[in-house]
Formats: sequence, structure tokens, C-alpha cells
Amino acid sequence: MGGLLTPELGELSLTTLTLPIMKVLGAVVLLGLLAYANAGCRCSADDIKQVLQDWESVWGAEFTGRRVSIAQAVFADLFSNVPAAKGLFGRVNADNPDSPEFKAHCIRVVNGLDLGINLLNDPATLESALGHLSDQHAARDGVTAAGFDAISDSFLNILPRVIPGFNGDAWIACFSKIADGISAGLPA
Amino acid sequence: MLKIAVLVLLCAVATHAGCGSLQRLKVKSQWSQAFGVGTDREAFGTALWKAIFAQAPESRDLFKRVKGDDVTSPDFQAHSMRVLSALDQCISLLDDEADLNAQLAHLNGQHDDRNIPSNYFNVMGEAIMQVVPAQLGRCFDRDAWAACFEVISQGVKK
Repeated sequence: MGGLLTPELGELSLTTLTLPIMKVLGAVVLLGLLAYANAGCRCSADDIKQVLQDWESVWGAEFTGRRVSIAQAVFADLFSNVPAAKGLFGRVNADNPDSPEFKAHCIRVVNGLDLGINLLNDPATLESALGHLSDQHAARDGVTAAGFDAISDSFLNILPRVIPGFNGDAWIACFSKIADGISAGLPA
Repeated sequence: MLKIAVLVLLCAVATHAGCGSLQRLKVKSQWSQAFGVGTDREAFGTALWKAIFAQAPESRDLFKRVKGDDVTSPDFQAHSMRVLSALDQCISLLDDEADLNAQLAHLNGQHDDRNIPSNYFNVMGEAIMQVVPAQLGRCFDRDAWAACFEVISQGVKK
């Protein structure tokens, strides 16, 4: 009888020992996979949907005057936080924010962002577009990666004032992806 | 007789109103509907460039730098979105003459040294007349679009 029981017990003890080890190993693998997935998943599909919805609610071409007002407000906020930044935009008459040159510039900048936002679902094309924007910014002396952090703050200050129910977390996740792509080749 | 004359005159005024302030508002709203968002917007751009290259196959040569031989390539799609974005900027400014002119002057500077034959602007205009109504399905105001696109293309190419 004992001879028959021993292998059964042995089998049992083997299972009770290996099960926790397997569980731990499994958890380690799972955590690793999650970390990997999150690294590639900043600005998730849900975030993109939310950002597009928030953004398009104010940015369509049919809304007369909205674009200019929002873009001007973002730059006004940037210049009040970082007065030195104004000097970078002398060529487009930043001293006179109501001038047609500066307003047209505002629209170009924020339309560049609109382009990026609408390409979030097509990473290959987004990468090409951000590379092009990065080259355009690298050619301008004084434009820094820190400058992008500052204008990022300005968007966060302004957009909740014009977009009802603005989702800040989704916005930050996706905006940073775009800003990082543009500022990649810039000095800190 | 007089009634008919007045009627004819009124029709003439209505069809030749060109790119007036009402036409500008209409083009803005129709554009924003046709332009769409996200990947729909890319498909809209692809349709536009296919219509351009179908009319003027040799114009592809102008876009070698952005892989014009393959309109679905990421580099060409990114280019397509830049062009549509510029058009979007102009259309959104149609009802603000001073800002529009500042933007047209900027685009004019960007196109100066590319030696674009001026008939290619007509080709693009014709392509827009094909893809925008296809996108809208109905209620496309061709006269308003033709007149307002003319305002934009004249500003870019002058």
C-alpha cells in the first residue's frame, strides 16, 4: 500500500511546488509584456479617438474666427510664460499679434498640429510628417526642445477653456508624441 | 418683357456673384465636411492626387522628392496632408481678407522656386471639383467653389 501511495504523494508535492513557481514566472512574463506594450502604446487608440473628437470640435474650417483666436491665445500664453520666445518670431511680426502676418503664422503653426493629430492613426505617415516638421524647426536658430515643453503647457492652459469636457490625459499622451517627433533633432 | 429682363438680370447676378461673402461661408462649411478627419482625410487626399495625376501624368515628376510615383507611400501621404493642410488654412481664412492675403503671400513664397506650370493650378482646381462633390454626395456649389478656388490659386501663383 505504502509503495503505491508514495509516488502519488511525490506527484502531489511536485505539483504543489511547481505551481507557485510557474505562477511567479508567468507574472514576470506578463509584467514584462505589459511594460513592453505600454512603451509602444503611449497615446492609445482610445486616446486618439478622444483627442480627435476634442480637437475637431473647435478646429473645423467652418468655424469662422475660432482658429485665429485659439492660436493667438496659445502664443499669448507662451510669450507671457517665456518672454524670450517672442524674439524667435520677429520675422512674422510677433510684436504685433493682431497683424495679418502674425495671425497667418499662428494658423500655420496650429495647422501643423492639426496635421499631426489627424495622422495619429497612421504611424508611418506621421513619422514622415514629423521628420519634415523637425527639419523645418532645426533650420531656425533658437528653437529648442524646451520650447516645445513650454508651448505644450500653453496648449494645456488654453484648450480646456474652449473645449467642453477636454480630456487632458489623452491630450498629453498624444501631444507629447507629436512634440517629441518634432523636437527630436533640436538642442535641449 | 420687362419682367423677363429683370429675371434674366437677377439670374445673371446670382450666377456671377463669384467668391462673395456668402460663397465664402458656403465653401468653408462644405470644405470642412469634405476634408473629414483622420484616415478618412488621407483617403480624400489620395483621391485628389489620383485625379490630378490622371489629368496631368507628367506632373508626377514635380513630386519625386516626396515619392510621387507611389501615392500610398508614407512620404507622399505626408506631402498630401501638407498640401491639403495649406489649402485648409486658406479656406478657413476666406472670410478674413487681410489674414488670407498674408497666408497667400507666404504660400506664394514657398512655390516661387518650384517652377510650377500655371496650368497645374487649374488641374488641381478641376480635381477638387471632382473629389469634393464625391465626398459630399449632394449640395455641392460648383460656382462658389470655382470662384473661391480661383482666389486662392491666383494668390499662390502670382
